[in-house]
Amino acid sequence: MHNLIRFLKRYFYIFLFLFIEGYAIYLMSQNSYYQGSAINSFANELAGNINTYTYNVSHYFTLASSNDALVKENAILRAKIENSYVKYENKTFQYNDTIYKQQFEYIDAKVIQKTINKRNNYFMLNKGRIHGVTNNMAVICPNGIVGVVVNVSNNFSLVMSVLHQDSKPNIKDLRTKISGTLVWDGGNYSIGKLVDIPSSIPLKIGDSIVTSGFSQDFPEGIMVGKIKSFKKDKGTGFYVVDVKFSTDYNKLEYVYVVKNFFKEEQKQLTKDIKNE
Amino acid sequence: MNKDIFLGFLHFIFIAAFQIFILNGLQLFGYCNPMLYIWFILMLPTNTPKWAVLLLSFAMGFVVDIFAGQMGFHAAVATFIGFIRPIFIKVFFAGKDIETNLRPSIAEMGIMTFLPYITLLVFVHHFLYFTLEIFSLSEFFMTLLRIVCSTISTVLLIIICDYLFFKTKKS
Repeated sequence: MHNLIRFLKRYFYIFLFLFIEGYAIYLMSQNSYYQGSAINSFANELAGNINTYTYNVSHYFTLASSNDALVKENAILRAKIENSYVKYENKTFQYNDTIYKQQFEYIDAKVIQKTINKRNNYFMLNKGRIHGVTNNMAVICPNGIVGVVVNVSNNFSLVMSVLHQDSKPNIKDLRTKISGTLVWDGGNYSIGKLVDIPSSIPLKIGDSIVTSGFSQDFPEGIMVGKIKSFKKDKGTGFYVVDVKFSTDYNKLEYVYVVKNFFKEEQKQLTKDIKNE
Repeated sequence: MNKDIFLGFLHFIFIAAFQIFILNGLQLFGYCNPMLYIWFILMLPTNTPKWAVLLLSFAMGFVVDIFAGQMGFHAAVATFIGFIRPIFIKVFFAGKDIETNLRPSIAEMGIMTFLPYITLLVFVHHFLYFTLEIFSLSEFFMTLLRIVCSTISTVLLIIICDYLFFKTKKS
């Protein structure tokens, strides 16, 4: 007790100062809006930070039970969402005309799985045989060319992307009408290469490259990309052209499968020649 | 002793009145805002009890606050000045008996000691006051300019008043 009194006597001055100063600051916070709110928000932030720390520690103790609850809820929700159902719809767009005979038909589809960083890349679509998709159909998207269907199941189809070493669609330069072949040599998924363009043709950087329509799969004039750079290969007399794809294949979501009504007819013609 | 208390009471009233009614309405060059009232705290006799200095500082600040219409600012800063005053007294009255009734003034200390004593404390006071008033680090140099200008004007005012009221006492 004696010590306590001595202690108080000794530090009485400092306690008095702290008391008066505290009272003055209290007055300040009560009577001036800005300083008051600043002091209050500091106090709130301090309390909030301390509360966050305690919460961070304490919520570990309930982690297991809350995880269980979340997993159960997830399972229920997952069963409800649209993605767990396969849509049985067959929307194709077709019209009859006596003068113009329709050659191409488009089946809308959604990309449900894709790779872009392998040497040979594929997309999987949510449309299959029962929707009218068959092998070797071309696949395009609003921005341009995508690939060719290589395998079909009842509800799904697999598309060989242009980012594939066997994908060699025929293309042409929109300005000069010269045609060539689009290949992809791996690596950057936004850059393709054009081959078979003779170096006598004056190309320009920025020229649009579109599908030529010479192959039976792709309609004519589907955008491929723009010329990024080119150089002459002295040995062969052909250009080596880099093309920047107009489609970002990493973000690809909605595509159209192209059905060519005359394909069998065209194929038959070439087959006839080969047979002779 | 009673005479000292009475004199101190008079000082309190006159300095507070001067501050409230004249200096508070004064804005020299837009930056200078002299605050003479801390002279009262600085010139309290050295043998005044520490707790009394604190209470008087608070009271002075509080009165100025009431009339300035912003509660707490002057009180908080003045109390702080009252709190750190004994340290400065010890340093600047080195070699003198501060237990006797010494009044910090030019007459007692000489201008060469008095000037740094008041300049330092006034600067601390103004620095805290203006920082508290702005309450942010934006416009830092503007605030610094205000602090320096106000410090200079307050120090000048204190020296003039000191000459006017205490010079004759010595002779």
